[in-house]
Amino acid sequence: MLQIKKMSCSTKEDDLSILDNFSLTIKEGETHAIMGPNGTGKSTLAKAIMGHYQYKITSGDILLDGESILHLTTDERAKKGLFLCMQDPTVIDGVSNSEFLRTAKTSITGEKENLYSFIKNIEKAMDDVSLDHNMLHRSLNKGFSGGEKKKNEILQMKMLKPSIIILDELDSGLDVDSLRIVCENIEKYKEENPKASLLIITHYPRILQYLKPEYVHILKDGCIQKTGGMELALEIEKNGYSSMNTISGDESNE
Amino acid sequence: MNKVLYIIDEKKDTNYQYNICEDTVIYHFSIDSSSKVEINLLTEGVTLYYYYNNINYGDHFLNIRVNHKESNTHSELYNHGVNVENGKLDYYVEGCVPKNSSHCICNQENQIMNMMDGKSTIFPNLLIDNYDVDSNHSAYIGKLSEEKLFYMMSRGLTEEEANHLLLNGFLINSDSIDLSKIKKFIKEIKKI
Repeated sequence: MLQIKKMSCSTKEDDLSILDNFSLTIKEGETHAIMGPNGTGKSTLAKAIMGHYQYKITSGDILLDGESILHLTTDERAKKGLFLCMQDPTVIDGVSNSEFLRTAKTSITGEKENLYSFIKNIEKAMDDVSLDHNMLHRSLNKGFSGGEKKKNEILQMKMLKPSIIILDELDSGLDVDSLRIVCENIEKYKEENPKASLLIITHYPRILQYLKPEYVHILKDGCIQKTGGMELALEIEKNGYSSMNTISGDESNE
Repeated sequence: MNKVLYIIDEKKDTNYQYNICEDTVIYHFSIDSSSKVEINLLTEGVTLYYYYNNINYGDHFLNIRVNHKESNTHSELYNHGVNVENGKLDYYVEGCVPKNSSHCICNQENQIMNMMDGKSTIFPNLLIDNYDVDSNHSAYIGKLSEEKLFYMMSRGLTEEEANHLLLNGFLINSDSIDLSKIKKFIKEIKKI
């Protein structure tokens, strides 16, 4: 279970406050979505949970299964089961996809899988997400299209088997067919790992129609302003954020 | 490519002169050394790829000059260095195309990573005396990217593992390098 308790978050460099008294609880197996206008802190939230170097938590706490993770480094958080599917995955020249994933898997599981079994598993996962096997030997995300980068993120998710998955605008840069493929893979992952939880950050309801969140939250001015179900996402798409009636965030989300 | 050369310098200052008459790839690995390199492209249409990868601790330099002595010659220089401590590392990189050599390609890419507070300088010079040359240069001096480290650590790699993979990718920057020929250099990367 992931609990974010009255968390305020600022940028380290210029002390700009982004999240203010933000609270959210995601229980095992739940799927939550966060929507909100540009610049309201959705991606900051995702990065703050992962311990990004540009942000500092000024108050509040983040608990994973009841224990604070604020003192943990980013890799320690990943080893606890957190996974952030990035909005714009970083290009790393000179480090091959396979070398990176094998090192990551060894770090997460603590065991070095034999090469044959690793290649078999990863090739199967690549087939699932419709990625060419040649991409395994290319530099990480280098020369990948926007869609290939996102599929590669989902490939990493399938290989590393996290328990809490944060999807930061997974749907940006994906065509309709690619979106369907990655969403089918996430749904299948959820079926195979029913305790896994999802936090979807998005601007559009289309991805939510595939992944069917139980809760949709609207983030505005650094905290959750409204919580509802799928109907809230559809209402936002129809009427925009400006027409939204706000309610206090704390009671509705904790 | 017809010819492939491997050079490893360790703690010594070296001078090299190459007269290139056939397509050639040179992998030059340098550990805490200074090098002066002069390359003459002597046959029309010849291509040279030069990969210089350098681990630096003290005060050292690379001075490399490529002379396009014939038309239609092609040079690609990739100079990568890691300045590990507080030493001084200077790269002087020159591509020269005289007036009588036409339709040449003369490119260079230079990068130095400072791991601590070392002072690094790159002088990327293109001395071109012809209008039909295709020529580019780039120079970057900086630290290892925090964003790259974050991305790798978000997948469970420790900072040390992420650093090692990044440096390995930076200093062994061609898939064609035969790793069995540079074992000493790989060992040095692990020490950074």
